[in-house]
Amino acid sequence: MEKLRKDTDMSHQLNGKREPKSKTAYINDRAYVLQEGETILSFVSRHLGKSSVPTLCDAPNLEPFGSCRVCSVELALQPQGNTKTVASCHTPALADSYIYTDTEKISRLRKNIIELVLTDHPLDCLTCEVNNNCELQTVAAQVGIRTVRYPEGKNHLDREKDLSHPYMTSDFSKCINCFRCVRACDEVQGEFVLSMAGRGFDSHIIKSNNTNFMESDCVSCGACAQACPTSAISDVFESKSVVADKKIRTVCTYCGVGCNLEVAVKDGKIKSIQAPYDADVNQGHTCLKGRFAFSFYNHPDRIKKPLIRKNGVLEPASWEEAYDYIAEKLTAIKQQFGPDAIAGISSARCSNEENYLMQKFIRAVIGTNNIDCCARVCHSPTALGMQKAFGTGAATNSIDDLKYADCILVIGANPTDAHPVTGAKMKQFAMKGRTTIVIDPRKTELARFATFHLQLKPGTNVALLNMMLYYIIQENVIAKDFIESRTEGFEEFKEQILRLDIDQLESITGVDKHLVKQAALAYAKSPNAMSFHGLGVTEHTQGTYTVMLIADLALITGNIGRKGVGVNPLRGQNNVQGAADMGCQPHQGAGYLNAYDPEINKQYEAFYKTKIPFSKGLKIPEMFEASIAGNLKALWLMGEDVVQTDPNTHKVIAAMENLDLLVVQELFLTETAKYAHVVLPGASFLEKSGTFTNGERRIQRVQKVVEPLEGTKSDGQIIVDIMNRMGYAQPDYDAETLLEEISQIVPFFRGVKWQELGDNGKQWPVQVDGTDTKILHAQAFNRGKGKFHFFDFQESQELVKHGQEYPYIITTNRELEHYNAGTMTRRTKNVELLTEDSLMIHPEDAQRHFIQDGDMVCVESPRGKVDLKAKVSDEVKPGVLSSTFHFPEVMLNKITSDEHDTEAKCPEYKVVAVNIRKSKGKQKVR
Amino acid sequence: MSKNLSYLSGRKGLGRNLFEELGNTVQKTGLLQDDEIERIRKDFLVGKANLHGTVSFYDFLKPENQGKKVYVCNGSACLCAGTQPALKEKLLSHFREQEIGEMCCLGRCHENAAFQYGGRNFSGNAIEKMDEILKSDISVEDDYKVGVFGTAILTRPFPGLEAYKSILKSCFQKPITELFEVLKISRLRGRGGAGFPISIKLESCRNTPGVQRFIVCNADEGDPGAYSDRYLLEKQPYAVLLGMVIAGYLADAQMGVVYIRGEYPESISIIEKTIAEMVRHELIGEDILGSGFSFHFKIIKAQGAYICGEETALLSSIEGQRPEVRIRPPYPAQQGLFNLPTVVNNVETLANLPFIMDQGGDAFAKIGTLKSKGTKLISLDGYFRNPGIYEVDMGTPLSKVVHELGGGFKKAVKAMHIGGPLGGLVPVTKIDDLRLDFESFSQEGFLLGHASIICIPENFPMILYLEHLFEFTAHESCGKCFPCRLGSTRGKEMLHKARTSDYLIDRKLMYDLLETLEIGSLCMLGGGLPLPVKNALEYFGEELKMYFKSDQN
Repeated sequence: MEKLRKDTDMSHQLNGKREPKSKTAYINDRAYVLQEGETILSFVSRHLGKSSVPTLCDAPNLEPFGSCRVCSVELALQPQGNTKTVASCHTPALADSYIYTDTEKISRLRKNIIELVLTDHPLDCLTCEVNNNCELQTVAAQVGIRTVRYPEGKNHLDREKDLSHPYMTSDFSKCINCFRCVRACDEVQGEFVLSMAGRGFDSHIIKSNNTNFMESDCVSCGACAQACPTSAISDVFESKSVVADKKIRTVCTYCGVGCNLEVAVKDGKIKSIQAPYDADVNQGHTCLKGRFAFSFYNHPDRIKKPLIRKNGVLEPASWEEAYDYIAEKLTAIKQQFGPDAIAGISSARCSNEENYLMQKFIRAVIGTNNIDCCARVCHSPTALGMQKAFGTGAATNSIDDLKYADCILVIGANPTDAHPVTGAKMKQFAMKGRTTIVIDPRKTELARFATFHLQLKPGTNVALLNMMLYYIIQENVIAKDFIESRTEGFEEFKEQILRLDIDQLESITGVDKHLVKQAALAYAKSPNAMSFHGLGVTEHTQGTYTVMLIADLALITGNIGRKGVGVNPLRGQNNVQGAADMGCQPHQGAGYLNAYDPEINKQYEAFYKTKIPFSKGLKIPEMFEASIAGNLKALWLMGEDVVQTDPNTHKVIAAMENLDLLVVQELFLTETAKYAHVVLPGASFLEKSGTFTNGERRIQRVQKVVEPLEGTKSDGQIIVDIMNRMGYAQPDYDAETLLEEISQIVPFFRGVKWQELGDNGKQWPVQVDGTDTKILHAQAFNRGKGKFHFFDFQESQELVKHGQEYPYIITTNRELEHYNAGTMTRRTKNVELLTEDSLMIHPEDAQRHFIQDGDMVCVESPRGKVDLKAKVSDEVKPGVLSSTFHFPEVMLNKITSDEHDTEAKCPEYKVVAVNIRKSKGKQKVR
Repeated sequence: MSKNLSYLSGRKGLGRNLFEELGNTVQKTGLLQDDEIERIRKDFLVGKANLHGTVSFYDFLKPENQGKKVYVCNGSACLCAGTQPALKEKLLSHFREQEIGEMCCLGRCHENAAFQYGGRNFSGNAIEKMDEILKSDISVEDDYKVGVFGTAILTRPFPGLEAYKSILKSCFQKPITELFEVLKISRLRGRGGAGFPISIKLESCRNTPGVQRFIVCNADEGDPGAYSDRYLLEKQPYAVLLGMVIAGYLADAQMGVVYIRGEYPESISIIEKTIAEMVRHELIGEDILGSGFSFHFKIIKAQGAYICGEETALLSSIEGQRPEVRIRPPYPAQQGLFNLPTVVNNVETLANLPFIMDQGGDAFAKIGTLKSKGTKLISLDGYFRNPGIYEVDMGTPLSKVVHELGGGFKKAVKAMHIGGPLGGLVPVTKIDDLRLDFESFSQEGFLLGHASIICIPENFPMILYLEHLFEFTAHESCGKCFPCRLGSTRGKEMLHKARTSDYLIDRKLMYDLLETLEIGSLCMLGGGLPLPVKNALEYFGEELKMYFKSDQN
């Protein structure tokens, strides 16, 4: 039965006898240049155009599959030689071969195949969602099919539609069994929700346990819907229909991956979103937030008028009134208490241009360095730590480098939830058995597939990384040449590391030292090892130190400065890299120049044409303390919900309440906005233009898709208005002109021009001539040599002080369905997919407290308590709990602490001492 | 086929194998329960849908076939002999109707009637002893003639383990290049039907970097009418297994997998026993005969899907994936089982290796014709006076086989279906034109295939036989490629309609369908079906013309 194999002549493949002499092959007897290793389909489409060879099962982001056979061509190995019919999608194009794309035989074959397909397909094109954008319809027209000659037989036209899910839909009566959805779920998202079942004519797509989308394990990424050539799988937004007036390419506003989106607009409203295949960042993929969670933009909750607090109540006002009120108040406070009584917090959700304006407003118009942004509460230790080690506080490499890495080390990050597209790529990496080391207190999705999962006790990153460094040094698997030529401080570092007590570290981390050793050696011995880290690294009292130890790992193994290596923070928010780049931190102005250096200050003064302070400014936690102490009188928040997202809610509220003026620019009346004196309605990313810089330093164009909702303004324009109102002449918000201004002060933006950014943006530093940089530190470090730093483990004060009384550790995390405070995602149908925060608890702990899955649990810390629904899971170890702060109904930050990273002041969200008991709290009823 | 699933399944490999796990679980619980799904999914890191997808593919595992107790063979030979209805009727006095399933085929074609009960195969006549069978675990060993015409390579008596040891020892003493030279000189070609030189596969596998390599013995002899592999597995198991050890040594593989169809329970137990015996005698295991070469075995019991005889589907099957045919390249020698270099060969091919290594390449090459070397096993069905397995030199005239070895037909026969369901339909008038070798058959427009011969009696309607062939393909199609998935069903429907109503087939449409299947299909299941159909249309046009529209030619 081996004869079932058709193309039996594989000798040319196996023997390599037919070495290509020239690199051309013939298409319909004309010679064309061949590319190494390409298929006939790619060869022909490249030269004769995409639709020159029809196909139904091939898709740009999927591996060749060969099911539809519509792409068949005739192939001869010599002129006028015997031809064989082959499927072009999976047949390699050989040099000097003769390919015939539309002989009579081929035309007949294609037509006959399509005729067969149409014997089991509803003929309701005109009323079908994808009419005029259906690949079957297109190919049928192309091959010229008119009638179906077969007598009526078995068919699948009575299959039921699946409308169970808020986003995904299916109608398998339209399915042509091309497997594209199954392959997308496997090869792109790596989720295996879909499979074919049955066999032969009865084969059909199933979801998980042969159920509907809602009950299945679907993560709603929509890759299957986008891949489907008909409307067998689609979405509620009918993203494949062609009724849109226009499609605009922009960049997603959720996480730091920076997916490109193609937004369809009809009648001035957003209809649907798809992911462009030619996007360098996401190659036709995106997640449920990027693809589906856009309906917040015109949600009835949007604030459409400025609000001013009068008699304790926020009341609608005109823009003029609001601006007058603010300007008057700010001027008065500045006069009475000085500019340092005023502070601003910028937004990593806003554009580079808006962030630039915000810090310019605070520095040049108010006259203080009290400017910060939410990088403070996420990756400030990364910026600081990497600056100290390498000289630049940004990802050294690109996500695309996963292709070249032999080993990835993922520390304190849960990318499949928090950075879904990057997470999916890492999962693909791990599934293939490539060395994957996950350091995380939770058994994350990636950890399930990893080679090594070092499930450490929360807060012991430093101890664990020291163990790895110890073994690498002890086993002498270090990169001697690299250390010698490109680093400094090694000898001293080595001595300190070797003095460590490895058994003590083992007991601190709770991770078997042999496992740590294996993982360390796997990292060190891989030709190219690439590290990624998230907030599980930074949001600790030793956050900056941990970052520097990660840098040590890269330095000691020489994993810096080429493809497939490096230290790569997974930036949380879409533009948190950009907010910092633009100068939204007290100690560094636009372009990271030292804001406290009087010499450099002159440069800023000359550029901003006004006096610029060089006195020390406040970081976010210091602002809260200053407010409570009565020293800070006014705070301006651009799109930042500090009450829900910053730790120790009660303290943050106290800080808000103590202000004389709290201005909040927002889309919605957030928990923080409720305390504001003035609320200014900003505009969402869909309503304005600008640039976002993603986690791999890629500056991409955000393009206005729809006009701002009536009554709202872009955040940039609001800042411009107030700058002008306060006497500083700043032209109206315009992304292109602002980017030009930025390029003159931010050194690594020097060659950035709006028009030249194109579809896929550029990675900074961008030279004057426009060339960008994929890999940092290729030849030399920004600080000259890479510097080794040693730090010993220190227990968090949270545990030292409260560990006895509060024996559990809760660590905060993110869920795929929601983004941060959930301000946007809770106002989309994502809330139907995940309705509440819950408490992950190990079965042993649950049993000890008589807690069952779904019970309400009271979680109490020294600061306060919250009630959460238990989710009993072995994802956490005994003694460790985990939850999210997506929902204001819970306000998890009521219990988080005041402890901060000792260097960068990033709050310690990841280690909170708590106690638990089964509570009588009511389950949330929806 | 999913590369990811291959990798994930490969993590557990053959130790706790996903396919076996699914088979065992279903066997234990009847259906795949949700908690079992959850357990296996977590353990193997695959999706729930994958597990359902795999289980629903196989005749023995799919939910709708659970609860069957006895299976009637519905292979082509049994069909032509018309024995199935009577057998079913008799079984009904012992079983409820829903407990009676079908299997295709049990390889008892020499008897033209067979059933399986309690993991044992019985010939049709054993039904008379059903009460006894139900009560005890007796086996009724089948009995068929084994003959030779020319050299006995595959049917020569087993020379004993010591003789095998010395073959293996002498292999270990020679340089690998010399062994390959022997194999090349022998010009041994694959016996599964494709006739591809085995040395090229082994060499390519050897030269492909990989942490592990596999030799897979394709013992999924699914062709109705063929039972020569069953003969080898049950009567010559040492030759098959030693062949695999030799292949493993040549390819630098460490693991041999024998993939045996579930329809052959006796083959599985015999191979199991033989492996154990060879392990005891140090012909299999670690550091075989002190050579430093280690080779281990794994038996995989198939679960009822003809397509698993296709080598790439077979590999996916072992991995616990749906056995859908893979595209090539990559070839299994480069990326096979668990994405690692693998050589898949038929039972008969491998069973030739001990002889070649023992007697030398020349001894083998001097048997047969210019291009087809060695011998071929032929399976003759119960329409012959002397049904059984015959080993003949390649190039032996077909008439010799039919008239002398087979002793002629018991009843009037109009055609022979040679080489399995996808082989040619040879009218008896062509018997004198054919010799048993690859070239002779293909020159005459037929296919040697696995050289099984099923007789189509004079009174058996050709239209019914064609419908049976389309139905077989429709039932066994993996469903991956469009032409086979849709075309086999549409063809079956057309023929059925023409046979049972006044519907007349549009001849052009039939030829369009045949061409679409032939040149469009991904593998030879769809691609091979047109051959016998075209043979029938050519040689039995008169008989068939009443089913076609007359206005066309």
